[in-house]
Amino acid sequence: MKWMLIIILIFVIMLIAYALSEQYKDKFDFYNNLKLFLNQFKINLSFRQEKITEFLEKTDCKKQFKIFIDEYKNYLNCGELNLDKIKVLDDADKSELKDIVLNIGKHDTKSEINQLESFLLIIDNKLNQAKEDKNKMCPMIIKLSLLFAIGLAIILI
Amino acid sequence: MLKDYLPRDIYNSIIKNFSFNDITEIRMRVNEKIIIVVKNKKFYLKDDNGAYIKANNLLIDNFITKASENSIYAFNDNIVNGFITLPKGIRVGLCGSIVTDGDKIVTIKNFQAVNIRIPHFIKNCCLPAYDFMVKDNEIMNTLIISPPGSGKTTFIRDFVFQLYEHNNSKNVLIADERNEICSANSGEPAVNLGGFCDIYTNCSKKFAFKNGIRSMRPDVIVTDEIDLERDLDSIVEAINSGVNVVATIHAKNLNQLKKKPSFDKILDEKFFSRFIVLSSDEGPGTLNNIYDEKLNCIYCR
Repeated sequence: MKWMLIIILIFVIMLIAYALSEQYKDKFDFYNNLKLFLNQFKINLSFRQEKITEFLEKTDCKKQFKIFIDEYKNYLNCGELNLDKIKVLDDADKSELKDIVLNIGKHDTKSEINQLESFLLIIDNKLNQAKEDKNKMCPMIIKLSLLFAIGLAIILI
Repeated sequence: MLKDYLPRDIYNSIIKNFSFNDITEIRMRVNEKIIIVVKNKKFYLKDDNGAYIKANNLLIDNFITKASENSIYAFNDNIVNGFITLPKGIRVGLCGSIVTDGDKIVTIKNFQAVNIRIPHFIKNCCLPAYDFMVKDNEIMNTLIISPPGSGKTTFIRDFVFQLYEHNNSKNVLIADERNEICSANSGEPAVNLGGFCDIYTNCSKKFAFKNGIRSMRPDVIVTDEIDLERDLDSIVEAINSGVNVVATIHAKNLNQLKKKPSFDKILDEKFFSRFIVLSSDEGPGTLNNIYDEKLNCIYCR
C-alpha cells in the first residue's frame, strides 16, 4: 500500500512538472504559429490579396493559437478584441499582440507589407525568447521535479 | 445586408421609417443630416424622438472600415477610384482628401461623404428594347445613354439575362470594371445572369476587351459606363474583331452625347447600330428613345 502511494505521488508530481513545462512549449508554439501566420499573410498581400476574413477562414491552427484566431474573427464581427483567454501570454505580450491586430488591414498593400515586416521583427524576438525559455526551463522543471519526487519518496520510505 | 455595415440605431431607423426595397440611395456627409433617397425623393433620417440623425467622421470611417471588411489593402484599388462595391451590388461612392505620391493617387483619407447606392433588379425592364437590340439572334452594337441613377446598369443586367431567357446562346463577356453589373463575391455573381456569361471584375476595360477576345472567344461584350476617349480604341478593336458590344454611357440625351469628344468618329464609322436613351421620367429605366446608326428615331415614348 505504502509503495503504491509513493508511486502515485511521483506520478502526480511528474504530471504537474509536465504541465508546467508544456506552458513554455505552448508559448513557443504560439509565437511560431503567429510568425507563420504573419508570413503567410504577407504572401497573401503580395499575391491573392484575400480579405482578412477569407484569410482567417483558411488558417489552420490548434491549441492557444486557435483561441487567438477565434478571437480575431470575433473582433472582425463585433469590434471587440478580447485576448484574455490566451493563457500562455502575459499582459505585456497581450497588449503588443492587440496593437498588431488592431493595425492589420488599415493600409494599402505596400504599407501593409512594410508594417508586417516590423511586426515580424517583434515576433522574431518573442519567438527567440520563447525558444530560449523552452530549452532552459522545460528540462530544468522535469529534472527538479524528479529530484523532488525522489527526495519525497526517500523521506516517506 | 447593410445591417453589417451601419450602426444599429441608424439601421433600425432606416428600417422603421422606410421600405428597404424602395430606397435607392443613402447619403452621409460629415456633420450633415443623413439623407435617404426613395424613388428620387429625398428624406432626412430621424431617430425615435423625431430628431434628425447627423453623420460624423467616426461614423463614416467605421462604415468604410466595415465595408472593406477590415482589409483596406484589398479595396484600395477601388478606393483610389472613389468607390467600394459591397455584396449584392451595393455601390458605395466615396469622397475625401486625395493622397498622392507624385502623379499617382495613393488613397483617399479624411472621408467627407459616402453615397450608398442600392441596386434594384427589375426583371424584364429591357424587354421593350430587346427586339430593337437583337435581330435574328444577332446582337446589334448598342450604346445605352442615360444620366447617373437612371437604370443603365439594371438595364444591361436584364439584357444579359434576357439573352439567356430567349435561348440566345451567344457567349457573353461582361467587362465589369466596378463589379456593379454582376456584384460578384468570391467569383460568384450575386445576380442571375443566365448561363452564357464570362465575367471580368475589377479590371480595366482595356484589359477585359483585349484578353477576353483572345481567351474567352466572346460573341458579345457587355460593359458599363464607358469613357469615349479612354475606351474607344478597345471598343473599335472588339467590333473590328467581329465581337459585338453593348455598352452604357453617361449623358442626359443624344444632344449631350454629341458634344462628347470622339462621338463624331462613332457616328461616321457607324460603330453602334442602336442608341437607346433612358431616363428617370417614370422611374429609373424609363425607355425614352431608340435611334438607329444614322440617328433616326425608331422608337419614341
